[in-house]
Amino acid sequence: MHRIMLQKLKHKLWMNLCLLLGSILLIATVVSFPLYQTAAYDRMLQDEFQKYIAMEGKWPTINSFSIVSQKERNGATISRMEGLMESVYGELGVTEKETVSFYTLTTMNIRSELNRQDAENASLKLGALSDLPAHAKMLSGEMFSESGLTEDGCIEVVMSQSAMVNLKLLVGETIVFSDLRDTEGKEIRMYVKGVFDPVSSKEEYWQVKPEQLNNSVLMNLDLFRSMFTGEKAGKYTVSCSYYTLFEYEDIKASRAKELLEATKNLTEKGPFSATAKIPEYREILESYTAKQDRIHATLIILQIPVLIMLGAFLFMISGQMYDMEKNEISVIKSRGSSGAQIFRLYLYQCTVLTVAGGGLGIPLGMVFSRILGSARSFLEFDSNNKLELTFTGEVWLYAAVSMAATLIIMALPALKHSRVTIVKLKQQKALKRRSWWEKIFLDVILLGISLYGYYSFRKNSVKLGEAVLQGETLDPLLYISSSLFIVGLGLLFLRLQPYLVQLIYMMGKRFWKPASYASFMENAKNGRKQQFIMLFLIITISLGMYHATVARTILQNAYNNAEYMNGADIVEQEVWHAVTDRNGVFTGEYVEPEYSKYTDMDFAEAYARVQIETEAYAETKDNPKQQIQVMGIHTKEFGKVTWVDYSLNNRHYYEYLNDLAMDAEGILVSDNFRTKLGYEIGDSLTYSVGGESSSKKQSTTGKIVGFFSYWPGYAPTVTEVSPDGTASTRENLLVVAHYNKLKQAFGVRPYQVWIELKDGCDSTDAYQWFQDNGIRLTKYVDKATELKNTVEEPLLQGTNGVLTMGFLVTILLCAVGYMIYWIMSIRSREMIFGVLRACGMHKGELIQMLLNEQIFCGVFSVLAGVGIGKLASNMFVPILQQAYAAANQVLPMRLVVESSDMFRLYGVIVGVMFLCLLVLILLIFKMNVTKALKLGEE
Amino acid sequence: MANDCLIQVCGVNRIFPVPGGEFQALKDINVEIMRNTLTILKGRSGSGKTTLMNIIGALDNPTTGTVAIDGRVVGNMSDLARENLRRKDMGFVFQAVSLMPTMNAFQNVEFSMRLAGIKPGRERDKRVEECLKLVGLGSRMHHMPAEMSGGEQQRVAIARAIAHRPKLILADEPTAELDSAMAAKVTQLFLEMTRKEGITILMTTHDVGLMDAGDMIIELNAGEQVHSEAEPQ
Repeated sequence: MHRIMLQKLKHKLWMNLCLLLGSILLIATVVSFPLYQTAAYDRMLQDEFQKYIAMEGKWPTINSFSIVSQKERNGATISRMEGLMESVYGELGVTEKETVSFYTLTTMNIRSELNRQDAENASLKLGALSDLPAHAKMLSGEMFSESGLTEDGCIEVVMSQSAMVNLKLLVGETIVFSDLRDTEGKEIRMYVKGVFDPVSSKEEYWQVKPEQLNNSVLMNLDLFRSMFTGEKAGKYTVSCSYYTLFEYEDIKASRAKELLEATKNLTEKGPFSATAKIPEYREILESYTAKQDRIHATLIILQIPVLIMLGAFLFMISGQMYDMEKNEISVIKSRGSSGAQIFRLYLYQCTVLTVAGGGLGIPLGMVFSRILGSARSFLEFDSNNKLELTFTGEVWLYAAVSMAATLIIMALPALKHSRVTIVKLKQQKALKRRSWWEKIFLDVILLGISLYGYYSFRKNSVKLGEAVLQGETLDPLLYISSSLFIVGLGLLFLRLQPYLVQLIYMMGKRFWKPASYASFMENAKNGRKQQFIMLFLIITISLGMYHATVARTILQNAYNNAEYMNGADIVEQEVWHAVTDRNGVFTGEYVEPEYSKYTDMDFAEAYARVQIETEAYAETKDNPKQQIQVMGIHTKEFGKVTWVDYSLNNRHYYEYLNDLAMDAEGILVSDNFRTKLGYEIGDSLTYSVGGESSSKKQSTTGKIVGFFSYWPGYAPTVTEVSPDGTASTRENLLVVAHYNKLKQAFGVRPYQVWIELKDGCDSTDAYQWFQDNGIRLTKYVDKATELKNTVEEPLLQGTNGVLTMGFLVTILLCAVGYMIYWIMSIRSREMIFGVLRACGMHKGELIQMLLNEQIFCGVFSVLAGVGIGKLASNMFVPILQQAYAAANQVLPMRLVVESSDMFRLYGVIVGVMFLCLLVLILLIFKMNVTKALKLGEE
Repeated sequence: MANDCLIQVCGVNRIFPVPGGEFQALKDINVEIMRNTLTILKGRSGSGKTTLMNIIGALDNPTTGTVAIDGRVVGNMSDLARENLRRKDMGFVFQAVSLMPTMNAFQNVEFSMRLAGIKPGRERDKRVEECLKLVGLGSRMHHMPAEMSGGEQQRVAIARAIAHRPKLILADEPTAELDSAMAAKVTQLFLEMTRKEGITILMTTHDVGLMDAGDMIIELNAGEQVHSEAEPQ
């Protein structure tokens, strides 16, 4: 058996190579997904931590506990707590970064032995901080010694700079605690040995900030513990704070849920749960795991079509192989081999191929996931973006499952073919059967299901957006509908294709040259054999187009939206001082920071002040206190820094600004004033700003000079999620008025400054300028960073990665599959070609014939694929896009088709077909007529 | 008479390179085949029959020597001229079934006429029917090859070979898959065609029973011509 199999492998070498290639690709693709996901999740989690650090400036992974040791419990609490500190890292399964314990006694009165006047009635806390000598440098004096005591038995203490200022202690003086006695009842004295400062205040060690120690002096920790804790603790009340910091960089995404559980156990159920602070990283992990679940579900659904294609590819090739070996099988069978024996033979062969496929597929999977990881956007890679790959159990599971699937897919057709006898084979050859799917109208059924999905999603598109906002994962039917639509329409095309070819044939029935005639005949009778490869082509192209459009549209819309919502390159607001009266009550007035300094900004192309009042009210017909938003602008300045595309309002942006500029009393209002409240141009609107806090409660009236649908930074509706998790949408009413008008009516109120950067300048120039000029800001948003964050959002990145990957894999499969199909098709017809050549057919005619067949099969499929892809994109992308960006999508969705993607797609297809043709021509030219005929003489 | 002679084979040698040397398939063959005759090429397997047929059919070139058909030396012709010669002036019947599996009997026969450049029309259709009736398949014209027996398929192949009225038909073991009665019938058909249609036929066979039918018999043995004799008219 082994020998026969090895012979088979050798004999059909290149066919087996194709099968091997298929299994390598299948396994590599399957393995790359968990590899990529694990790595991408790791990066995503790290990004979350980094974001926290950037925003809060604090170490994210800290557990802190504080207890007060009660006198009556004899310090048992402290020792249990210290035990817990040692076990906490193990319990959470994390690496220790820093452990800090801080002990203090209660505040006590002191007196200086120097009898200084200025230090009378002082009080302080005596404390100890673990590991202090390693993290502090002495500004004056010295650090306490290892024993912690002076020669005459005083406790040596050090203090921070702030304590020195606050407590007015001098280095070198001795202090007596008025009411602190040791266990023997003797007065406790301390010697101020030095003043310290952190070696580096950026060190995570400084959880207790030196500034917080302005009321404390610190002594040796070991001495503190021996004097005031343990057996002696009964006499003292000790406040203890423990900080356990662990490395966040070591936390793998796969452990996030586990860590979250362990943290909950520790802080909610542990013995010291009452004393634990809910750590900040818990929220990070919670939001991360929720996000991960959603991404995971989305990515899996996106992968399914690719995996199905891969399976179909293998099935097709192995089917071809069995087709070519049908004769041999039937001969072996007639010599007395049982079906089981034949099946076993093929099973052996497939096992060898699968194992080899696994051996090569897994390393290739690593390459694939690296490629995935470096995908910045669709079909765009960034080689700096490296992923750290780890082989988790999941990866091996995927590898095992994919290998099993490969084996089954390859060996399955053997089961069918092992039953073929010569008699059955001859019978089969005589039959012209319809494909099974044609008989059960699978195409119509699939189209029906997908259209049902399409219409129900379209009807419920608002709900869909809200569902996403509420954190629900996307309905798989949404993705599946589009895939079913593509497959259904593809099958429908296959059903119609023979009639189409027939029609072309009929049109020129009497005039076709022999070569074309032969191709028509071939297509009419053997066309069904090509259905599989045609479907493959159609799906590859339409899915490729669809995915490209999905990726581009989602990304571009998110980008455009972020660009629109940010208004200008930089939006900042300075710190405004509120004017208070003698009693410290806010007068309703503000001190305006100097505006003229902005002329110095050499990086700015233009800038404008923009007053934004979110707490504003209008007197409308039905509601005397309708909540609105008011924006005050200087039309000329504002026009220089902002822009709204013509298509959004169907009117030139500057026309609005001109209309407003013409009328000092004029206001521009959002369209919902007209549609929802019935206002018209020329109507007056009375409004006020500042809400309850404003002392000047008078209102002002403006005349409506225009309605807009979109305005820089303006969202027509606002969707909010209430605390109980339900989302609701409300109209957002905006009034745009002259800044001077608002100033006149309501006084000078805080405004933002919107800045447009010069070409070649970026946000760092601006930020530097604010720093250099000592300008304090309460708001600073730069568009470039916002855009970068939008584009690098993990869900988008993951989607892009999987779509790019799927696209590349399908194209590769399609190329290989198409090539294999045609080579095999030619080789199986070699004898016929020989006969045709013998009958005097020219080589050119033979090539013409094959070219025709390629047109009927390939070009038709490509055209159908393009059409179906376009249709599917137009129908399903808007729904899908809504699901991705529902929360903050303001602009109307625009379908984005990047022509470069399409060119790449067409380029690859044309390249493959050209290559195919080249190989075909080569085969034809190499074909020896007499040899070809001999094949038939056996 | 040169005019009556359709095929002239002069001093043809055919040497095939084989691993470790050469194999001489044909040794100094000299044959003249007259118009409107049925010539039978006989010999054992491997005697060089098919090689000679291929050379005469312009499918293969002799290593040395010349073949002239209708006075034109095949070796001097371009590929295109040889292909045109084959599609217009020759018809082939192969040992194994060689029909286009995607065309029915009618279309298969019609196809050789298309190749020969015969204009479509009622004439052509009539000719196809006539040829199929001649081989006794008038009632099975619209059957696919897969729906016919080996003998029926071979007869379609013969109809195909004669449909475009070639000057020469080359038939390589056309009766190999037929029973003896059918074989005799086919041979008889060939003989009739040389008379009625003005066709010259060269067929190979090792069926001794058919030898009598030929106008001329050429026997090959290990690549060498044993003797050729003209049957008495």
